[in-house]
Amino acid sequence: MGVVTGVETAGVPLHSQGLLPSGSRIAVFSEIFTVFLVLGTFVGVLVIGYMLYNAYRYRDGDHRTDDADRPVLGELPGDSGGGRKLLFSFSLSAIVVVSLIVWTYGALLDVESVSAQSADADNGVDVRVEGYQFGWRFVYLNGYQSNELRVPADTTVRLSVTSDDVFHNFGIPALRVKMDAIPGQTTETWFVADDPGTYQANCYELCGAGHSFMNAPVVVMEPDEYDAWYGSTTAANESSSANESSDDAEATTA
Amino acid sequence: MTHDRHTETDGGATIDDEFLEPVVVDESEMGLPPMTSVKRWLLTTNHKDVGILYLVTSLFFFVFAGILALLIRLQLWSPGEGILSAVAYNQTVSAHGLLMVFWFISPLAFGFANYVVPLQIGAKDLAFPRLNALSYWLYLFSGLLFLVSFFQGGTLDGGWTMYAPLNIATYTPNIGATTVVLALILFTIGITMSSVNFLTTIHRMRAEGMTLMRLPLFSMSILLTVWMMLFAFAALLAALLILTSDRLLGTSYFAADAGGSILWAHLFWFFGHPEVYIVFFPALGVMAEVFQTFTGRRLVGRKWFVASMVLVAVQSFMVWMHHMFLTSINLPVKTLFMATTIGISLPFDLMVFALIYTLVKGRVRFTTPFLFAFGALVLFILGGITGVFLGAVVLDYEFRGTYWVVAHFHYVMVGGATALFGAIYYWFPKITGRMYDEFLGKVHFAMYFVGFNLLYFPMFLAWETPRRVYEYDIGLTPWHRLATIGAFLLGASFLVMFYNLYRSLSVGESAPANPWEYATTAEWAVSSPPPLENFPGRPSYATGMLSFLTASGTPAVSGGGRTDGGVADAHRLDTQSAHDAHAHHDSHASPWPVVIALGAFLALLGLSALKQGAFPEGVVGMVYGGTALFGSVVLALSLVQFGRESFHTSEPDVAERWPFAGVERTKLGVWIFLASDVVLFGAFIGSYIFIRVAAGWMGWEPVPHDPVPGLVNTYLLLTSSFSVVLALVAAQKRNRTWLVATLSLTFLLGVAFLVNKGLEWVELFHEGVTFSSGVQASTFYLTTGLHAVHVILGLLILGFLIARAVGGAYLDDERPVEYFGLYWHFVDIVWLFLFPLFYIL
Amino acid sequence: MTSTKLYAVIYVVLFVMATAQVLVEFAGLSYWLAFGVILALSAVKALLVAGYYQHLLFEPRSISYLLVVGLLAAVGLTLAAAYSIS
Repeated sequence: MGVVTGVETAGVPLHSQGLLPSGSRIAVFSEIFTVFLVLGTFVGVLVIGYMLYNAYRYRDGDHRTDDADRPVLGELPGDSGGGRKLLFSFSLSAIVVVSLIVWTYGALLDVESVSAQSADADNGVDVRVEGYQFGWRFVYLNGYQSNELRVPADTTVRLSVTSDDVFHNFGIPALRVKMDAIPGQTTETWFVADDPGTYQANCYELCGAGHSFMNAPVVVMEPDEYDAWYGSTTAANESSSANESSDDAEATTA
Repeated sequence: MTHDRHTETDGGATIDDEFLEPVVVDESEMGLPPMTSVKRWLLTTNHKDVGILYLVTSLFFFVFAGILALLIRLQLWSPGEGILSAVAYNQTVSAHGLLMVFWFISPLAFGFANYVVPLQIGAKDLAFPRLNALSYWLYLFSGLLFLVSFFQGGTLDGGWTMYAPLNIATYTPNIGATTVVLALILFTIGITMSSVNFLTTIHRMRAEGMTLMRLPLFSMSILLTVWMMLFAFAALLAALLILTSDRLLGTSYFAADAGGSILWAHLFWFFGHPEVYIVFFPALGVMAEVFQTFTGRRLVGRKWFVASMVLVAVQSFMVWMHHMFLTSINLPVKTLFMATTIGISLPFDLMVFALIYTLVKGRVRFTTPFLFAFGALVLFILGGITGVFLGAVVLDYEFRGTYWVVAHFHYVMVGGATALFGAIYYWFPKITGRMYDEFLGKVHFAMYFVGFNLLYFPMFLAWETPRRVYEYDIGLTPWHRLATIGAFLLGASFLVMFYNLYRSLSVGESAPANPWEYATTAEWAVSSPPPLENFPGRPSYATGMLSFLTASGTPAVSGGGRTDGGVADAHRLDTQSAHDAHAHHDSHASPWPVVIALGAFLALLGLSALKQGAFPEGVVGMVYGGTALFGSVVLALSLVQFGRESFHTSEPDVAERWPFAGVERTKLGVWIFLASDVVLFGAFIGSYIFIRVAAGWMGWEPVPHDPVPGLVNTYLLLTSSFSVVLALVAAQKRNRTWLVATLSLTFLLGVAFLVNKGLEWVELFHEGVTFSSGVQASTFYLTTGLHAVHVILGLLILGFLIARAVGGAYLDDERPVEYFGLYWHFVDIVWLFLFPLFYIL
Repeated sequence: MTSTKLYAVIYVVLFVMATAQVLVEFAGLSYWLAFGVILALSAVKALLVAGYYQHLLFEPRSISYLLVVGLLAAVGLTLAAAYSIS
C-alpha cells in the first residue's frame, strides 16, 4: 500500500498492520469499496438465493398436503411466531453492518484531519477553489489564479472550497476528492495525487444551465517541474484581487 | 353474479351473499349521482370514490413523469447534447423528480389508503369526509398548477432538491419556477389536511376489538406514514413559505451569505429524509399484506416488525444531515449522524428477514400481486445493501452527486413503487368488482422486472457519472445505453398493465367478495365493490373474529365460525338502533371542496408573477393580478359556503380509541393540526436562530428599536385569549349576549393587534427597513408576518363565528367556540416567544 | 363561578409576567442571564395558557405528548442545525 508522507496521522497504530484502511484517498477508497463490494455481493446473493429457494420450495400445488394453521378471513392480525430465528438473523446482520462502519471510521478521521495537515504547512500546497456559474477558479497563495489546477505529485494538496454564486460541488473523481462549494462558506479538504498526468474536475451539484460542462483540467506534475512552474507564476493582474471572491468578468459572462 | 349464493371460503368466514350485494340504498338519496356521471366524481366525499380519484390521478402523473424520464434516457443515449437543450434537460430532470416523488408515489399509496384503510379498520368513512375530498382536489389542482408552469417561460430547473440559492429568483427567474414552489405549497396543505384526517380516523374509529397493535399491517404502515407526514411536511412548508417570500416579496433568507444556503439544506432534508420513509412505508405495508395472503402465513415476528416500523418512523427525523456530509458541518455532528444513519438501517434488516421467513412453510402462490411484492423485496434488498455503502462516510464522500446515489434511491423508491403496482392488482378486484387477466399481469411483471434491472443496475456500474449531467465519460456509454433500453422496456410494460386493467373493467370475470384464499382483512369480507357505507352492520372483533352486528343485536354476518360474541354485545347494540336509523343519512356529497381548490389554484397562479412584492407592468401583470383577485374571491366565498353547508357525518358509538379516547373527534383534529403548526413555527424560529448563529449571535440587534409596540401587542393578545375563554363560559351558560360581546371583544383586540403591527411596519418602511433590507429584516418581517397571517385567519374564522352566534348558534353546542379558542390560544403562545426573540433579545 | 375567577387570576398573572419580561431587559443583568430569565418567563406563560386556557391539564395526557413531540422535533432541528455550523 502506498503510504504517503504527510497523510499518516498519529494515534491509529493499527494502520501499520494493514488492518485499517490507510494511504492516499485513492487507496483508502478502493480498499473500503472493495471490501463492501465483496461482502455486499455475498450477502445479496445469500439472502436473495434463500428467498428464491424458499419461495420455490414452499410453492403451492397438488403436492402440498399440509394442513397447517392457515389464516382465515376476519381474524385479527396475528403472528406466526419465529421471533427467535428472526432476532438471531437480525443480530447477525446488525453486527456485520455496525462493524463495517466502525472499521471505516478511522479512515474518516484521517480524511477529516485536514486541519492537522495545515499545521504542517511546509509540507504541501494550499489552493483556494472558487466555483462560479460555470467554471472553477484556482487561487494560489502567491495570488496567481487560473482555471486550471496544477499540483505536484506525492504531495498533500489542501483545498479551501467556496462559491461565488450558487451551491456547487468540486470533485476530482480520479483522485477521490470531493467537497461542497457553498456561497458564503469555506469548506476544506485535501488529496494526494500519486501519478503525474491530467485529470478532470467536475461539478457534482446541479447549478444551472452549464452544469454538465462545468469542468476544469487538473494537471499533476512532478514535484520539481511543479516548483519551477510555480516559481514562474505571479499574482493575477486582473482587476479583482486574488483573495476575494467578488464577482469578476468571467463569472458573470460565462 | 355467477357464483353460488353462499361463498364458502376455505375454513374461514361463511358469508351470506345477501349482505354482499351492494346494499340497495338509493345513493341519490344521499345527494350522490351514479358512478357513470361526471357530477358524481366532482361531488363525492366517499372515501372509496376519493381513493379511486387518487389512484387515477396519480397514474396520470406517473405517465407524465415517466415520459420525462424517457426523455432523460434518450438524452443520455450518448454523451453531450441530444434532443434536449441544457436548460430543457435541467427542467426535465427537476420535473421528473418532483412529480414522481410528490405527485405520483405517495398519492398512489394514498389512493389505496383512502380506499382500504377505513374498510380494514371497520369505519364507514374517514373522520372528515369533506376535508378528505378537499385534500384530493388540492392535490389535483396543485398538480395542474405544476403543469401550467411549463408554459410560463419554463418550469423549475433547480433539481427536485431545489438547493439554495439556485432556487431564488436571481438564478431561476422563470415565473414557472415560482409556480412550482406555489404548487408544492398547495400540495403540502392538502397533505397536512390528509394527515390530520387519517390520524383522527385511525385513532378514533377502529372497530371494537381492533386495538392499535392489532391493526392490519397496511393500515399500520399508513398510520406511521401519516404521523411522519404531519411533522415532516410542516418543515417543508416552512422551507417553501420562506422560499416563496424570497421569490415574491424580496426577502433574503437563502441569498444570505451567513448560512442561507445551508439553511435550505437543513430544512429540506429535515423533511426529505422522513419523506423517503413516507414514500416507502405504504409499500412495506402492501408487501406485508400480500406476503401474508399469498404465502398463507401470518407474518413472522409481527410485533418486532411493527416495533421496527415505529423505530424507523421516530429515527427518520434524526438522520437528515447525512445528506450534508460534504457541507461545512463539523466532525462530531457527522459522527452522530453517521451513527443514527446506521441505526435506522438496522430495523429494515429485521423487516426484510420477517418477510422472508414468512415464506417458509407457506403455500406460496405466484399471482401477479405476489410477484410484484416479491420483486419489490428483492429490489429493496439490493437498494439496502448499496445504501450501506453510503452509510460509510468515506465512501459517501466519493459517491456524493454520482449515479451511485441515483441508482440506490431508485432501487429503494421505485422498489417501493413496485409493491404498489402489485397493490393495483391485489385490490383491483375489490375496487372494480372484476378480475384482471392473470397472464397479462405476469407478462407485465416479467417486462417490468427485467426492464427495472436493465435500467437501474447499469447505473451502479456507471456510477462515476455525475448526477444531472448529460456529458459523461465516453467509456460509460454502453452502460447508459443499456439503461436507456431498460427504461423503454419498463415503460412498455405499463402499456400491458393499462391494457389489462382497461380490458378487465369490461370483460373481466366478476370478482367474488374474497378472491384471495387466506386473505384476512375486513375489506375482503364485504362485496366487491363494497356498498357505499361499507358494512352490513357494525363491524366488531370483540370475539377475536370479525362479525357484523345489527341493531337488533343478532349478528348480521359472521366473519368467522364463532357467532356467540355478537350476543354478548347485544346490550350495547340496543342503544344503537336509534343511531343506525339516522346513520343512513350521513352526507356523501359536497360541491365546495372542488370549488375551494379551484379558487386556491387561481389565486396562486395569479400570485406566481409577483416579484419584489409587485406584479409586472402592463397587460400581463393585470391578467395575473386579476386572476389572483378572482381566485381569492372564489376561495373566500367557497370557504364560507363550506362552513355554512350542513354536512352530517356520524362517529361510531363503539370503537377502539386508544390513546385518544375522551377527546372528541373534531377536537382531536384541531390538536393534531396544531401539533403540525408547532413544527411550522418551530422551523421558522429555528431558521431565525440558525441564521443568527451563523451571522454571529451578539452582533445582531433587534429590528424594531422600541419594544413597546411589541409589549402592547402582547397585552392585546393576552387579553384576547382571556376574552375567548369568557366567550366559552358564556356559551356554556347559554348567554347569547355575553357570547356575542366577548367574541366581538376578541375580534376587536385582534384587529387592534394588527393595526398596531401595521403602524410599526409602516414606520420601519419609512426608515428604509424593508423586506429586502437584508436577512435581519427578512427574519423579523417574515416570522412575525407568518404570525400575523395566523391572526388574520383567526379573525376570519371569528367573524364567521360571530355572525352565527348573533343568529343564536353555539348555545346548545359550544364546541366550535372551544376549538376556535384552542387555535387562538396557540397563536397567542407563539407570540409569547416571538416577542422576546424579535423585540428584546 | 370559580372557573371564571381562575381564568381572571391567570390573566392577571400573565399580564404581570409580560411586563416583568421587558423590565428584566433593563435590569442590567448579563446578556445570557437575562436571556435565560426572559425565555423562562415566556415558557411559564405558555404553560399557563396551554394548561388552563387550552385546558390541557384536564385533557388526556396523550394530547400533551402529541404537542411535546412536535416541539421536540422543532427544537431538535434548531439545536442540531445551529450546532453543526459552530
